[in-house]
Amino acid sequence: MAAARAWTRWRGASDPLRLFVVIVLAVLLALFVVYPLLELTGRALSDDRGFTLAPLIAAINSKSNLRAFADSLLLATLVGVCGTFFGFLFALTVERTQAPRFWIRLLDVATLLPLISPPFTTSIAFIFSFGPRGFITHDLLGINNATVYGLTSTLAAETLTYFPLAYMALRPMLAGIGGDLEEMAFSLGSSRWRVFRTVTLSLTVPGLANAFLLLFAASLADFATPLILAGNDFPVLPTEAYLQITGMFDLKGGAVLSLLLLVPAGIVYFLQRQVVGRRRYVTMTGKGRAGASQDSVAPLMGRILMGICLGIVLFILYLYALLLIASLVISFGANYSLTLAHYRVIFTEGLPAIEDTLIIALIGMPIGGLYGVVVGYLVARTEFIGRSAMEIVTMLNYALPGTIVGIAYLIAFNQPPILLTGTAAIVIACYVFRYSPTGIRTTIALLQQIDRSIEEASFSLGASSFMTFRRIMLPLIMPAFFAGLSVVFIRSMTAISATIFLVSINWTLITVRILENMTELSLGPAAAFSVFVIVVVIIVTAILNQVLRRLTAPGLRLPAVEG
Amino acid sequence: MVERGEPAGIRLEGVSATMQDRNRGEIIAVRNIDLEVRPGDLMTLLGPSGCGKTTTLRMIAGFQAPSSGRISIAGRDVTHVAANQRDIGFVFQNYALFPHLTIFGNVAYGLQVRSRSAGETGRAVAEALELVGLAGFGERLPNELSGGQQQRVALARAIVIRPRVLLFDEPLSNLDAKLRVSMRGEIRRLQQALEITTVYVTHDQEEAMAISDRIAVMESGRIVQLDGAEALYRRPASAFVAGFIGRANLLHATVASVSGDGVTLDIGGQKLLMRPPGAQAAGAAVRAVVRPEAIAIVSSNTGLTGVVRSRIYLGDKIEYEVAFGGQMLTIVRFNPAEDEGYLPGTTVFISIAPADVRLVD
Repeated sequence: MAAARAWTRWRGASDPLRLFVVIVLAVLLALFVVYPLLELTGRALSDDRGFTLAPLIAAINSKSNLRAFADSLLLATLVGVCGTFFGFLFALTVERTQAPRFWIRLLDVATLLPLISPPFTTSIAFIFSFGPRGFITHDLLGINNATVYGLTSTLAAETLTYFPLAYMALRPMLAGIGGDLEEMAFSLGSSRWRVFRTVTLSLTVPGLANAFLLLFAASLADFATPLILAGNDFPVLPTEAYLQITGMFDLKGGAVLSLLLLVPAGIVYFLQRQVVGRRRYVTMTGKGRAGASQDSVAPLMGRILMGICLGIVLFILYLYALLLIASLVISFGANYSLTLAHYRVIFTEGLPAIEDTLIIALIGMPIGGLYGVVVGYLVARTEFIGRSAMEIVTMLNYALPGTIVGIAYLIAFNQPPILLTGTAAIVIACYVFRYSPTGIRTTIALLQQIDRSIEEASFSLGASSFMTFRRIMLPLIMPAFFAGLSVVFIRSMTAISATIFLVSINWTLITVRILENMTELSLGPAAAFSVFVIVVVIIVTAILNQVLRRLTAPGLRLPAVEG
Repeated sequence: MVERGEPAGIRLEGVSATMQDRNRGEIIAVRNIDLEVRPGDLMTLLGPSGCGKTTTLRMIAGFQAPSSGRISIAGRDVTHVAANQRDIGFVFQNYALFPHLTIFGNVAYGLQVRSRSAGETGRAVAEALELVGLAGFGERLPNELSGGQQQRVALARAIVIRPRVLLFDEPLSNLDAKLRVSMRGEIRRLQQALEITTVYVTHDQEEAMAISDRIAVMESGRIVQLDGAEALYRRPASAFVAGFIGRANLLHATVASVSGDGVTLDIGGQKLLMRPPGAQAAGAAVRAVVRPEAIAIVSSNTGLTGVVRSRIYLGDKIEYEVAFGGQMLTIVRFNPAEDEGYLPGTTVFISIAPADVRLVD
């Protein structure tokens, strides 16, 4: 209500504590989001005489860069289409067929795996399955020297990695299309196929577009999968930028390439805001009766859909099984004798990486969780000058491809005044500002469920602002804090695209070690590291989920925010 | 200063409120209202949505500051006093129970804020829950209760602090019809037993009539009439009030003649006598209000005829739409005889007592 908004403005106009927090946040955001991006642009678009577009034009004119640009777009488009298709298939199966609960649970668990694994886990498993010594190519089919590298395998690996995002975005959408709408169409004499085409699919179009853009952006930004699977014949921008910097020590060239990446990423970001903005009209048709129409998919069709989904799920489980086996045998594809040698390796010479990663994740986790809740509360419940600017800036590092963020940090913090290169702080800062937006959005979504009258009730009973925050609001937004914690932790354990530019001799990461192992062809330790990461992530998120479940007030639903 | 627990009066003097509306820019929600609620009274603000009644209530609570005017409670100017210093109890439309606290925790909150001892708090909460018929529900969480029970908790939470003023914002609108009727009786009973000055906001005229000492009818940010239920019903000041309190036939007429006996109105050629005489001159165009149940269908020729257009049987009553002097009349006949057969198309004689006709602005 307008009245409530006006009142909040009036009440909080002169709160010194809040003013202080806002100023501190503004300084931090300027330092860790705006400044690096300005430095990146400045470095890429300048020469001895100042600002110039020449490097960009030169980059565009280079055949190999254009090739990488085109490849990136092609890959992202294909991943977007295929991933959205599979995501929709899964959502449709779960929401519209009478599949037994157990199978749905299985689908959920299996699609969760890629989301909590390092992004290149699937790629490594692909090599175990289809590589020169792959289980299918070598052991089953007897092909020697099979080539796994190229567009097809990169596409397949990225699709399997990212389609769960589409599934998570589309499932609530399909659930939201009330069964009564479909039943209405049936009652008007439509066939099943016609209802599906004209009602279900039509209403899901904005969701499909959103899912496509989500996957397009994820693929565009994906760095690890192409690095492992794309090979020399299929260069893409993020890997080219990385090779430019690490291989040729050409920071400026890398910066220019990452700017090229910015163009499609920016377009997708704005398209997505448009689509998500428009999605509201769909829900305006009113909230449908709970539960979907059970009749909208023919029983036979339902069984076929379930069959396809189970096939994909089995394939995912197969890939993870390969990873586990590879970590436990002497040499995958050659010697299948069981051994713990790889784990011994990661816990001896790999130990510094494990320690560093855990330290960084454990420090970043509370900072990121707190940052998310504070920003979310300020954005959702208070008014101050620059509020919407702050909201946009907080989302920037999250929306940009990791390669851009990583190179920007590398350039910005490599020299005075702020010399952070080689410290843990730079990695932590990167994670906090890149992965806390999930916590911010969860906080905002949670606060939107908490009516302002709850706060007013507390005031009317005589409580002060501080008492109201401590006794009422704080317990209610606790779940968002824990959701933020778990996302920051998961990403700190698994991310690589930005932080690969930021690791040093002093501070390194498990994911970087995995990549090094892959290039040295020590696949066993790479598999063991991956299994270790997955197990740690599962344990920690399970603990956080337990805490969360205790803390979440019944009647409040913690909104699912992807990311 | 009035002693705590003794009923306090509320006074609004020239209170206005402006608000920001996303679509319409700055709008005036409340225009220059004067209102006095007598100590111990239950005053209802009644009006359609958007009439400013909730805004007025929120200003009394202190959730919103008036753009001009003065608000005082028990003689003390509270215009710039924050909500948590006004000693009020507020019952929200959506209950606004704290979802993470038990029923006990919810009701005890206001006492804990006031640093009462645990023993005193426990006794007061138990007593309040007893009063609203929820003894033994203390350990449950709000979402384990039905809507009606949640509203009782909200009520207990508001009265347990023994506020000087109790404010209700459409408290029953989320409940079903039967529960609304029993809850409103309970609210009235409690309010009278505790003698708490109360302001009650609703858009339901029946609810307003059932529980109020006085009703302020609001339209477009103004109070258009303030009176007891019966006076409002019998003597509506405007067509709006007539239409909002009960049902009314609004007839466009001209004054045919004025005599000591009363005023004769001409309605499409038919002559209708009304009493008492007003100040109208012959030939003036006026609007007259007649309640549907004040019109009788009779067998003898009264000089007033109409043609039945529709007949709706509702059990305890029958509603007729009757064409009369070029306008449409709604007529309600209670306790209809079994074979009452004024079917559509029938021409009927109607009779209206002169005292039941009332001119409005």
